[in-house]
Amino acid sequence: MSLILRRLTARFQTGNLIVRTCSTDKDAPEFDMENPFEKEKLQCVLCKHKIEADYKNVKLLSQFQSPYTGRIYGKHITGLCTKQQELVEKEIVKAQSAGLMGTYVKDPHFFEDPELFNADKPIRPHRF
Amino acid sequence: MIAYELMILYRLMPKPELRTALKRTSETIFQKGGIIRKLENLGTRDLPFKISVHGVVYNKADYFLFEFNAPPSSIASLFDEYIRDVDVVRRRLYKKTEPVGFECTLDNEMKPPPYRNDVLNLIEQAKSQQGKPKFEYNTNLDHYPFQK
Repeated sequence: MSLILRRLTARFQTGNLIVRTCSTDKDAPEFDMENPFEKEKLQCVLCKHKIEADYKNVKLLSQFQSPYTGRIYGKHITGLCTKQQELVEKEIVKAQSAGLMGTYVKDPHFFEDPELFNADKPIRPHRF
Repeated sequence: MIAYELMILYRLMPKPELRTALKRTSETIFQKGGIIRKLENLGTRDLPFKISVHGVVYNKADYFLFEFNAPPSSIASLFDEYIRDVDVVRRRLYKKTEPVGFECTLDNEMKPPPYRNDVLNLIEQAKSQQGKPKFEYNTNLDHYPFQK
């Protein structure tokens, strides 16, 4: 009986003694830090360079126009965000209405302009 | 008064005639109680498409840009007045737009559908059942009285 008691008391004593603290551990990782492996946020061309589409800037607007049909490319081709695409389309319609930009043809002066996107490789597939 | 932009195309004219035409357009703005802020010559250009006005077809035009402030009530009459001018090939009035601040959402749009905000909104809309009318018989009965 006395042996069992002695063992129990010993266990209680040791239970009180074992205290683990992490404060002294300098190598422990901090889990409240930001994810260091997070990828950089994607941005569209116009947002990245902070360009605003304007109906007088025909050189810029005609880059979003097909050289074959003069139609405006969709956002699955241009790679613009929804808002920018909406603004660009609005400005193109304004420019066409004001007689600055063609509706069926792209100005041949702008054929050599650098391509912002590849029309043959859309981000999402065509619906036709 | 609101800031407007007037994009106006004149037919090709010798300088003195063009000057009088410009004076005419600016004076109409002043008559309506407007103030001209800027007058810009955008040069003589080929039109992107032929324009026929006043019974003549034009392939070239002189481009001018007026920036002015005018009461909005006068805009309709201004617009009307310019087309009655024989020297004017085309005119368009636009409100001067302020740059709108917004964040690029391309990153979110490139995610697979169940993570896109627009798809999530659609799912939520479908869940809430809002705007989905449920047919009611309006008979104050808890059952349908006739044979179905």
